[in-house]
Formats: sequence, structure tokens, C-alpha cells
Amino acid sequence: MDRNQQRPRSSILDSLGEELIGILTPVSICMFTVVLLVCLLNSDPSSSSSFSSIATAAYSETDSDSPWDKLLGAFLNSLVFVAAITVATFLLVLLFYLRCVTFLKLYMGFSALVVLANLGGEISILLIDRFRFPIDSLTFSILLFNFSVVGVFAVFMSRFSILITQGYLVVIGVLVAYFFTMLPEWTTWVLLVALALYDLAAVLLPVGPLRLLVEMAISRDEDIPALVYEARPVIRDDSRLVQRRVWREQRSNVNDDDVENNVVRAEEEEEQRSEEISVPLIDSSSSSSSRPETFLEGIGLGASGAIKLGLGDFIFYSVLVGRAAMYDLMTVYACYLAIIAGLGVTLMLLSVYQKALPALPVSIMLGVVFYFLARLFLEVFVVQCSSNLVMF
Amino acid sequence: MEEASRIDEPNRNPNTDRSSNPNPLSSIISSAHVWPTIDGPLGLTEEASVDYARRFYKFGFALLPWLWAVNCFYFWPVLRHSRAFPQIRNYVVRSAIGFSVFTSLLLAWALTFSIGGEQLFGPVWDKLVMYNVADRLGLSGLA
Repeated sequence: MDRNQQRPRSSILDSLGEELIGILTPVSICMFTVVLLVCLLNSDPSSSSSFSSIATAAYSETDSDSPWDKLLGAFLNSLVFVAAITVATFLLVLLFYLRCVTFLKLYMGFSALVVLANLGGEISILLIDRFRFPIDSLTFSILLFNFSVVGVFAVFMSRFSILITQGYLVVIGVLVAYFFTMLPEWTTWVLLVALALYDLAAVLLPVGPLRLLVEMAISRDEDIPALVYEARPVIRDDSRLVQRRVWREQRSNVNDDDVENNVVRAEEEEEQRSEEISVPLIDSSSSSSSRPETFLEGIGLGASGAIKLGLGDFIFYSVLVGRAAMYDLMTVYACYLAIIAGLGVTLMLLSVYQKALPALPVSIMLGVVFYFLARLFLEVFVVQCSSNLVMF
Repeated sequence: MEEASRIDEPNRNPNTDRSSNPNPLSSIISSAHVWPTIDGPLGLTEEASVDYARRFYKFGFALLPWLWAVNCFYFWPVLRHSRAFPQIRNYVVRSAIGFSVFTSLLLAWALTFSIGGEQLFGPVWDKLVMYNVADRLGLSGLA
């Protein structure tokens, strides 16, 4: 095993691909699973009228309303939802400011349990029902119990197997995203755009709650209390990495949290949606690094600071793709490419600006634009080509 | 031998010359540079691992065989190298045994239930099968 033992990293390209893949893979897996669930479980796309949650509190869409009514109703719904998210995020900032660490951590564990047990159970029952799988209730409850409790451990404990924690975070993202795809159609699209704008405001404005949170976390050298997906750090120089890991450990552990809204049937979480760099916290201990290393660390994709993506980003990307899947698979492909492109652009901006950036706006805007372009123009074109046997 | 410390995911850089000891034999014997967890240097130290392994093992008795399986997965290097980490190995091996026993019992029951079906169980089958239970309790359907 003498690969790369003596040769130092000569360019950023050696590890950039690995870092990007580390974040693109879980996002793709999440989106793919949501599309799969949507295709398997949704035989009747127009039957979502009886679904109630906080996102439909102001207005419930029915099939008989005019488009203008639906649009207005969707605006009202999104307004209510974004207001609820803002209040909850400010509450989170307040609690973090008052250092209620245990409470936030307990709350995060509790919401993970609710999502995994409640939503996970309901979705598995839907799947069992759909496929008429002859499993008995005793086995099912044991499996569900196991799954949820280990998931709570994975999310709650700070030093757990990286792969299993990542897997459970992706599963939580999938479950919440599937739940959100059951909202009425117009509400979903307007909500996505509204959340993209909210994310932009919350992370970049000086008064935005997410920016306050990131600044507090950086000044205190703590981890942000939220369900955040952290890609596995790429090991470049082992001794320094071990030092870093141990050094980070001694501060307060990851105390995660989510923002919970009161939903009528089930609860959903809203996590932070900011990418952040943990490199500034750690750079001071490695002043003797060689130039390529410092350069890499400087752009935030360095060995210690793995890329972090909030779980809310996973969820809303998957909601967009899931909703596109309800129309046709062609829109799914278009939206998937748009979202991945947006994520790439966001990561590039991250390397340029080196501060926490909102991951939602670029991807969601591209995704929404591509969805409507595909639906209105591309589909007509492809159908005409196929029916005239020009292109299949 | 050096692979002991390299049991990791394929997307990791293999630049893992963590052991500054060039002699592989003594590294096995000393076991100071072989990481007990599957995450390698990103995982736990040896002292913390003993604590974790013990806690996972004990919690697994609360009908949590998946936790035992996670225990075995997480401390996979301990299982692979039979002479390192004697304390951790104790718990991990017992977790593995517990997991196999529990899983075989559960599998036997589940297979009997699904394959036997109505012929074996009679009308009780319909009462126990999950989709009927869900219908009765109103669990299916999120709306």
C-alpha cells in the first residue's frame, strides 16, 4: 500500500472530486428513493385533497377552483408556512444563545424518533399494503422498533459509525420529503420558491436567523445544533486529522435540533439549510501545513472541514423531484440535472466566498424553471416526435 | 497487516500510513496503531470503544438485535484480528452471537407465518397479518 505515501497533494483536483461525490451521492440517493416511493405509491395523483398540515392551514386546494384562486391560496399557504419556519428558527437561535444544549439535543432525538417511527411506519404500511406483503404484525413492530431506536442513537450520539449516521439522515430526509410531496400541487411549487427566497434572506441578511446562528457557532467554536449531513472528511495527512478530530471532540458535542411545526396528522421537521465551513475553527492548530494543504483548507473543502449540507436542503430537493415525478419521468430527469447543477454552482460559490451559503435558492430556482420548461415545451416536442416516429 | 487500519469505505483516500512503525509484525503485537472501529482514525479511541461496545451490548437486550448488528459492523476490525483488543472483542463476539440467534428465531417465525399462511394458522392468520391490522387500526393512509 504505497499509493500516495510520499507524493504530496499537488492540486486541488486530487481531492475535489472525492469531496463533491461525497455530497452528491447522498443527495442523489435521497432524490432517487423519493421518486421511487412516489412512483410506487401514487396511483391517484388527484386524491390529495384530504391531506392537512400546517402548509395547508390557510387554504385547501380543491379541484374545482379557478387557477387564480389556487394561486392565491398557494401564496397564503406559503406565507403561513414561511412565517412558522421563521418563528421556529428564531426560537432555535434564542435557545442556542441561552445555551440550552441538553434541551436541543433531546428535542432532536425526540423528533428523529417521531419521524422514523411514525412516518417510517406509515410509509412501510403503505408499501406493505400496496404489495400485499405477508408480514405479521409482531415481526413488523419488532423491525420498526429496532429501526427507530437505532436511528435515534445514530442521531443523538456524537461518535457513532459515520456510514450509519449518514444512512439514517438520508432516510429521515426521504421520509419527510415523501410526506411533503402529498401537499397540493400549486401549494408545493409556490412553497418551494418561497422557501428558496427565505433561505436566501435568512443566511445572507445580517439580521437573518441562520446567519446569526452560524456566527454564534463560529464565535463559540461549537457545532450548530441541527440535523446536518456531514460528508466523510477526506483523509490527507492522518496525524493532523486525528489531532483535529480529537480537538473538536473536546468541545461540546453536536447538539442537533430541528424546528417542528404543529401538523395535524404527523410532524415534520425543518432543519437548517446552510452549508458551513468548519475549517476556520481548526486552521489554527495546523500552522505548519504545506502550501497545497493550506490552500485546500482555505477554500473550505479541506481535509478537516468536510462539506456539510443541512437536511432541509435534502428534503426540499427531493420534494421538487418527487412532485416532478408525479407528472412524468421526463420532468424528473430535467429537474434532477437542474438540481445537481445548482448544487455544483453553490459549492463553487462556497469555495469562492468561504462563508456559509444558502444551498436552496440556486437549485430550487433552476429546478422550478426546468420543470415548467420541460412540462410546457419539451413534452409537446418529444410527444410529437415520438408519434411521428422521428425520435423515441 | 497494515490493512487492519484500512478497513474503510472505498471513497476514502488510501493515504493512510498512520502507523509510523515500519515493522508490520510489531504493529500487530503492539496494536497501538490499529483502530478498533471501522471508521479508522475518524472513529473512537480504544478506551472509548470499550465503553461503547459494552453499552451497545447491554442495550441490545431490550429486543434490539439491530443494535447488536450495528455493534459488530462498527467494530469490524476487532472481529477480523483475533488478538487485538481483547476487551472489546468479548462484547462484540457476544453481540454477534446474540444477533444471529435472535435473527434466526425471528426469521423462522416470519417465514413460517408467510409461507404457512391460512392453511397452517387458520382464521388467526388474517387477524395477525400486517395489512389487515393496519386497516383495522386505521394506520394505513397518511391523509
